[in-house]
Amino acid sequence: MAHINYEAAKRVAYRGFVILGVVTIVEVFIALLGKGYIVEGFHLSRPVMYLAMICLSLYKAYYIIFEFMHMRYELPGLVRSVLLPTILLIWVIIAFFYEGDTWFHWRKSVQEIPAEMQLARPAGNAGLIPVQSADSTEAQEAVPADSSRPAGQVQPGHTH
Amino acid sequence: MMTTDQTQQTPVSNWEGGREPFKASYGKLMMWYFLLSDAFTFAGFLISYGALRFSSPTWPVPDFVFSSLPGGIHHKPLIFVTFMTFVLIVSSVTMVRAVQEGHRYNKKGVALWMTLTIVGGLIFLACQAWEWSTLMGKEHMTIHVNPFGTHIESGTYLDGDGHDVQKGDQFTAGKSYLIHKHGDEWAPLRYQTESGEIKQQQFGPKAFGALFFFITGFHGFHVFSGVVFLSIILVNVLSGIYANRKNHYEMVEKIGLYWHFVDLVWVFVFLVFYLL
Amino acid sequence: MSVVQQKNKETDPLIRDLGHDDHFHAHHHGDKYQTNFLTTYIFSQDHKMIARQYLITGIVWAIVGALMSLVFRIQLAYPDADVSWLKPFLGKWITLGTGGVGRLDPEFYYALVTMHGTILVFFVLTAGLSGTFSNLLIPMQIGARDMASPFLNMLSYWFFFLSSLVMMYSLFVSTGPFSGGWTAYPPLSALPQASSGSGAGLTLWLVSLVLFVVSILLGGLNYITTVLNLRTQGMTMWRLPLTVWAFLVTAIIALLSFPVLASGFFLLIFDRSLGTSFYLSDIFINGQALDRIGGSPILFQHLFWFLGHPEVYIIILPAMGIVSEVMSVHARKPIFGYRAMVYSMLSIGFLSFIVWAHHMFMSGVNPFLSNFFVIFTLIIAVPSAVKVFNWLTTLYGGNLRLNTQMLFCIGFVSMFISGGLTGIFLGNSTIDIQQHDTYFVVAHFHVVMGVAAFFGMFAGVYNWFPKLFGRFMNDSLGKIHFWLTIIGAYAVFGPMHYIGLGGVPRRYYRFDNFDAFRDFDDLNQFITIAAIVTFFAQLLFVVNFFWSIWKGRKLTEKNPYGSNSLEWTTPVKTIHGNWPDKLPVVQRWAYDYGKDGKEFIQQHKPMAEGEEDSSH
Ligand code: HEM
Ligand SMILES: [Cu+2]
Repeated sequence: MAHINYEAAKRVAYRGFVILGVVTIVEVFIALLGKGYIVEGFHLSRPVMYLAMICLSLYKAYYIIFEFMHMRYELPGLVRSVLLPTILLIWVIIAFFYEGDTWFHWRKSVQEIPAEMQLARPAGNAGLIPVQSADSTEAQEAVPADSSRPAGQVQPGHTH
Repeated sequence: MMTTDQTQQTPVSNWEGGREPFKASYGKLMMWYFLLSDAFTFAGFLISYGALRFSSPTWPVPDFVFSSLPGGIHHKPLIFVTFMTFVLIVSSVTMVRAVQEGHRYNKKGVALWMTLTIVGGLIFLACQAWEWSTLMGKEHMTIHVNPFGTHIESGTYLDGDGHDVQKGDQFTAGKSYLIHKHGDEWAPLRYQTESGEIKQQQFGPKAFGALFFFITGFHGFHVFSGVVFLSIILVNVLSGIYANRKNHYEMVEKIGLYWHFVDLVWVFVFLVFYLL
Repeated sequence: MSVVQQKNKETDPLIRDLGHDDHFHAHHHGDKYQTNFLTTYIFSQDHKMIARQYLITGIVWAIVGALMSLVFRIQLAYPDADVSWLKPFLGKWITLGTGGVGRLDPEFYYALVTMHGTILVFFVLTAGLSGTFSNLLIPMQIGARDMASPFLNMLSYWFFFLSSLVMMYSLFVSTGPFSGGWTAYPPLSALPQASSGSGAGLTLWLVSLVLFVVSILLGGLNYITTVLNLRTQGMTMWRLPLTVWAFLVTAIIALLSFPVLASGFFLLIFDRSLGTSFYLSDIFINGQALDRIGGSPILFQHLFWFLGHPEVYIIILPAMGIVSEVMSVHARKPIFGYRAMVYSMLSIGFLSFIVWAHHMFMSGVNPFLSNFFVIFTLIIAVPSAVKVFNWLTTLYGGNLRLNTQMLFCIGFVSMFISGGLTGIFLGNSTIDIQQHDTYFVVAHFHVVMGVAAFFGMFAGVYNWFPKLFGRFMNDSLGKIHFWLTIIGAYAVFGPMHYIGLGGVPRRYYRFDNFDAFRDFDDLNQFITIAAIVTFFAQLLFVVNFFWSIWKGRKLTEKNPYGSNSLEWTTPVKTIHGNWPDKLPVVQRWAYDYGKDGKEFIQQHKPMAEGEEDSSH
């Protein structure tokens, strides 16, 4: 920490404590306020609340990286080499969450499995669950490649 | 000599070779890039959490789930975990101080602040142990069963559970509940919806419990290994070997980076599990 | 004193006069790392020895993996043949029917396919290729004494070795090795009871690969920090040989993608051992609904391919770097479009992270999302084409030395073009709907990744063998090896495209009970015979390799190829610390071939009066 003198550095450390602490309390306050714990009957709209909490958390992350981990005093090249790769995660987040939403819609189309089916082999059409008809021996195991096993030993050679 | 002549003529950049382009030692760079890759591990977990949460029809509300305090106190949402967060922040601050003392070659200062950091880490782990054992032992949440559910419609309870819910209590959609165990039996309550149907409380999404224990466990494992590394380095500090090293207390700085990273991850774990 | 010893003593006058004295040998009296047999050959911290260890482990794995492929190819071509002669090797996995007719157990067929994929992708083409050449070349080409952390470097190899041991062990467990495909998709992989290979075999498989990830991360951290911090004086980034650029980009990709694979594996391990349901939902076994709900098997596929696609570039980029360097040296021309090469590698590296779901078009990815993956995927063709054009223009008008390594470089370009073109077919989801999980895909990735990366590796081994073992490999034998291999590879994988277009699915034990596929019996037999011939051609390489270690023509001069890069300024017999006294100081980029009437100008030769720096 040749960049700032010792006393100033010490102040940075303690200021960090105050800032992170206050931000955390604000976050928790928003969470409780928004869900009606603090003022009876008062609710914040979810998107507003979530956005606020995400922004505050990002600020905390920024503060930890730049002050506590000294990123502020590193050369711009190092900063970029560490932080730029995280941009990749944006697309990952979009894609994964979009997918999660898709699964949500699929799940709705899967019927509840009635209790009696949980013991017996599902007969007939069990929603979208891909199980073959009850008399098929092929589906005994969960091995998908089963269908390629020679069932009745068809001999090659007899022509098309 | 020729090379020196040449280097004097052209302005030298850090990238000319023979020097550290980021003015950071390889050890520090390694730590930074290791943390970057570890961040991707956590990102993998947290983003999977998000995907599974998006795919679930309901999700327990965190301030209902995390509302116990030691001493049998209930309904104090998020207080305990806020305390845990504070413990981590404080231990980060003490770590910053340890590094600063290292820059002044003050062995005693480094040792003192590192000890405090270790204590902070241990307190955090103890808190987590308490939180886990409460969830598992008292509330019977495990990686297989999640008794925390959320109502999707409003209605009236038809039984009481001997705890907070009385017969005839009203609830609205979006309110969470906990299914209790009587002896070894689960005792989900019956209720009547506004449309008059009689239904029973359902278990919440399994993924909630599993993800919670898995991800906070993975973070806790990081805290634990941090405590171990800190202790080893503390012993080295006390033995005085860093004082004679060319790069002095850089090892303290490196473990400091790791420790702050653990705090950094907690910011996001805290966000997704306890706030959102 | 022999000639070699004398040459060793001589210091390059340029390094003596212009070099940079880092007092290395004053600190390292004699050789503190190489004091006895153990520290020299086994727990070595010397990057060159670690490179040899990686290479030889890789070769052993390559032989194992290739033998496996022969067994399942025989099964595919001659499903009714008597394979009881394999009984001594495969034991109970060959079942004897009536009349002593031996048959390959279907479960073991899948295990062979799975292990073949895992071994070749991870152990041979990742560790064996990038591990070997990053270790050998990074320090020598940037003018460093060794890796930044020789100790972590050693650990990296030993984690790889441990991972190898576990994987090798999994081949012999009684329930058989894992058999659910190298991609380990759940639910097959998440339920130990799903198939016999999903039990102990998969547990070991996962342990092995987690160890492997650790090895890759340790190696990658070293490669990146070494390239950044340990370049010798004058070695700017734009003067680095393309090999080093390639290894750097590879290491960055690995560092960012392997951790996500580890995340996916950890969740899988939980599903398997602790009964969680991250990847399971609505699943039945033997007609019993399991109490596993709320997860999604597609989640695993996303996590897997977030590594999986970058992984294919982790495999091909080092090969690209090697080819660029070797091609330029032996064409006696500067590489065409040096900067374009670097930028295309960087953009390939970036793009490789945003296209992963093109492996999942048929898995049920949201079709709207698929559109983006299609577009991103097709954009990769641009930087890939830039690289191909640059190789062709480097060759064009060059003064080619058609030695073995050069032939393999040309073969690489040929293979990469062929396989890249089929990639563009598959990248379109509309076409992929037809082609997915057929032999067309198998042909695509074997041509573009399997064979091409092997060609890059062969080019590297033939070229740098003298730096590794102080001798040359036999060039005539090498040429025979090349021609048999390239003809064999096209003979094997060319017809596979055709079969795949005919709809023949991959990962099937036999086809003869499907009328539609009977037409392809002859082709399947042809492919198998070609594969067997190609395999035996590889034995030429193995023989050449081990024979040359002890009996090859000796290296007698420092710079046998007239090459510019720094590894050829090190003593003929390599030493710890690479240079006997001072470090070379770099004055120019690595590709001054045929400049100002000189055939080549080594990187540590000062600029002549008024000479222009070609790297600007
Ligand atoms: C223009 C470039 C490329 C495009 C557009 C492309 C596209 C694709 C697509 C869409 C698939 C999925 C096919 C399916 O499963 O249905 C695929 C599979 C594959 N590609 Fe490529 N590819 C390209 C280049 C490469 C390169 C350079 C490599 C390796 C170095 C590679 C290795 C693979 C592998 C290993 C698979 C199959 C993995 C498996 O399913 O087991 N591809 N490619
Ligand atoms: Cu791909």
